[in-house]
Amino acid sequence: MAKAVQLENLTKKFGDFTAVDSLSFSVPQGSIFGFLGPNGSGKSTTLRMMLSLIKPTSGHIELFGSSLELERRSIMSKIGVIIEKPDFYTYLSALDNLKLFARAGGLDFTKKDYDALLTKVGLKGREKDKVKTYSHGMKQRLGLAQALIHDPQFIILDEPNTGLDPLGIIELRELMLDLNKKEGKTILFSSHILSEVEAVCDHLVVIDKGKKVVEGVVKDLLSNEDLLVDVEVGNFQNAMSFLEGTEWAADIVEKQEIESSIKFNLSKNRLASLNAFLVQKGVDVMGMEYRKRLEEYFLKITNN
Amino acid sequence: MRYFLLISFLLFGIQAQATDAKKLIAAVNKKMKAINDYQATVGMKFDLPGIKINEMKGKVYFKRPDKFRIRAKGIFFLPKDNPLRNVTSLLEDTKSYTAVISGYETIGGKRCAVVNIIPLNTELELIVGKFWISLNDPLIYKTEITTKKNGTIRSRNIFAKNSKNPLPIKVILQIEMKAFKVPKLLAADIKKKSTKGTSNEKKTGEIYLTFSDYKLNRKIPNSVFTAK
Amino acid sequence: MKEFWAILKNELIKTVKRPRSFIGFGVVIFICFVLQAALYNDGKEMLSLITNQIENSISINGTVLNGNLICYILLQTLIIQMPLLVALVTGDLISGETSSGTIRFLLSRPAGRTKIVLAKWIAGLFYTLLLLILLGVIALYGSRLIFGDGDMLCVNSTGATIIRNADVNWRFMYSFFIAFLSLSVVATLALFLSTIMDNSITPIVSTMAIIIIFTIMGMFDLPSLDVIRPFLFTSHMISWKDMFENPVPVQDIINSCIILFAHIVILLGASIYIFERKDITN
Repeated sequence: MAKAVQLENLTKKFGDFTAVDSLSFSVPQGSIFGFLGPNGSGKSTTLRMMLSLIKPTSGHIELFGSSLELERRSIMSKIGVIIEKPDFYTYLSALDNLKLFARAGGLDFTKKDYDALLTKVGLKGREKDKVKTYSHGMKQRLGLAQALIHDPQFIILDEPNTGLDPLGIIELRELMLDLNKKEGKTILFSSHILSEVEAVCDHLVVIDKGKKVVEGVVKDLLSNEDLLVDVEVGNFQNAMSFLEGTEWAADIVEKQEIESSIKFNLSKNRLASLNAFLVQKGVDVMGMEYRKRLEEYFLKITNN
Repeated sequence: MRYFLLISFLLFGIQAQATDAKKLIAAVNKKMKAINDYQATVGMKFDLPGIKINEMKGKVYFKRPDKFRIRAKGIFFLPKDNPLRNVTSLLEDTKSYTAVISGYETIGGKRCAVVNIIPLNTELELIVGKFWISLNDPLIYKTEITTKKNGTIRSRNIFAKNSKNPLPIKVILQIEMKAFKVPKLLAADIKKKSTKGTSNEKKTGEIYLTFSDYKLNRKIPNSVFTAK
Repeated sequence: MKEFWAILKNELIKTVKRPRSFIGFGVVIFICFVLQAALYNDGKEMLSLITNQIENSISINGTVLNGNLICYILLQTLIIQMPLLVALVTGDLISGETSSGTIRFLLSRPAGRTKIVLAKWIAGLFYTLLLLILLGVIALYGSRLIFGDGDMLCVNSTGATIIRNADVNWRFMYSFFIAFLSLSVVATLALFLSTIMDNSITPIVSTMAIIIIFTIMGMFDLPSLDVIRPFLFTSHMISWKDMFENPVPVQDIINSCIILFAHIVILLGASIYIFERKDITN
């Protein structure tokens, strides 16, 4: 599969502190690529190096087969980006801000083009208002508009969900999927809302303390992962008496009598069987919860 | 100042017959009375310490007894008004001073008596006035007026040859000036280095006045001397 | 080239539309108005502080307090007020975008950093020029409207020069050019400080601090400062006043312009060098 982005042994040191340490990964062209890591892992530094906002101490970055160091200009015209919170010239209107970005990208937009873009991100009708009057969510939408304005091939979205209401999050998810599936754009998506990452990404990389921890196809990485299932029962002693000595006993990882809760480590396809077993034995199952797979996986591999 | 010019302009052209001081002055006064007013074109050139200023032209007006004005477009400098406003009338008031011939000199090829005027009233601004009056024609070729406030102002008068006009064609005024210094802060002067010298340092400045196109006794209205 | 014009247009729009740009215009109008009104009422008394020095022995005739002199007085504000107003906008050109975060989006575009710095610098100079033109129009033509024109009495610490009215216009024209060059140094200095600092205020304050310190160093006649004084840009910032000397010290003015121009080149070069290598971590 062709690579949209290739990082090779990328390192960044700030004085004695190594923010990114020999990081290598690649983003397949046409994928939605999850870029994960705990706070302070070097994600932001890596993204900034990809955008030439920060110069690497060593290593190499290639985008669309071209070296960023040598062909920055042509590469940057193919990238759209939201890095952390989007910032604008608050004394200008949204439309004026977009005009600045369009002009900087060498674009000759008509009113129709701006209208289409604003409609796409849900800001039509508010474009003449000064950005300082915008809510956080509206700024996020405007950030998305400026990222898409020049129809980039590669889109970097760093925490684009911040400040969006649930409807906005869903709309963003659908937009990302549209851009990827219908327009073939490559998207690098970084978010702390792991359920969203799991919902849209097909590839991911996880970094921690500047180093790569794992990289691969999402479903492959998560397929063998068990769930941590928290079962709340009506009578703890009664339930335990039925579970001991059965196959289920080996799956118990934690027991909390005071909370009347038993935690199991098992695959998703065995959930229904466990439930059926307890109900059959007359145990009242008050509730059954399991942590999201990616969330659990992430915590596990980053030692949290 | 106007009075020195008045003396310069009005007292000349009188044929001084007497070598006696009072007779000389009387002859000057007689010529003064013949001119009620005059106007002329005046060219002004300045050589004043610490002041750079280009030449300029204007119009000079005089009307008896003491109205005097130079009107010109722009800024120009003249010696400060002599506190003695009525030098003309003082000269005509022969009882208010003593006139003595202190010597003889040749000025501009003319033999002149040096007439010292000493006011009898010591409270006046004038301390002493010296007039170099030619013996052949009662014209004042040079003056030296010393006052309490403004020190000594000298003038040198040049007349046209064979002119019927008793008024000079050129007057050179020499003034004792104090060199002035404006604080650097007030002058907003960062670049210039301070020069040595105190504000009390005295220097001599000169003003050159050239007169032409005289028009005498044309009944100049008073408004000429008051209008802006 | 088309890309550069596009970036430059963006920078010009941002510079002119910023609220703080209007502060500069407002201050210039206000100060000119206040000074003109004050001089209209008390100008003669104020002038007498200076003319009394001259009038020790001679009298000054003619209209000294005229529009040309008022303009000359108002231009004295070039020393303090104008540099501050210029620094207020130019000191924020890069550091303001760094602190607000818009620098990330600016540098994520295809245009290189050198072009961006140059475009911002030109926008800063354009603002400076607008400010100076506004000052010039109000100071010169506004003053002439109120006070009339006439010969100009120019005083410095060693004497006075009278400039004839017919001789004034071309002198003002060249003096404004020199003033623009001086303020361009301020703008470039502020831009330079803006590249190395990440917040909005520090470059502005630092620029003014440098100007004040250098001005003070230039004002004291100390031998130990004689060596560096000719190279301080503040020593040449008032070279515009040389246009009102008689004769005009052409070589001195050329020397001042060369030093000012050298400052601009060095500061701009340093700005580009630093900005090219700067990590944007905000």
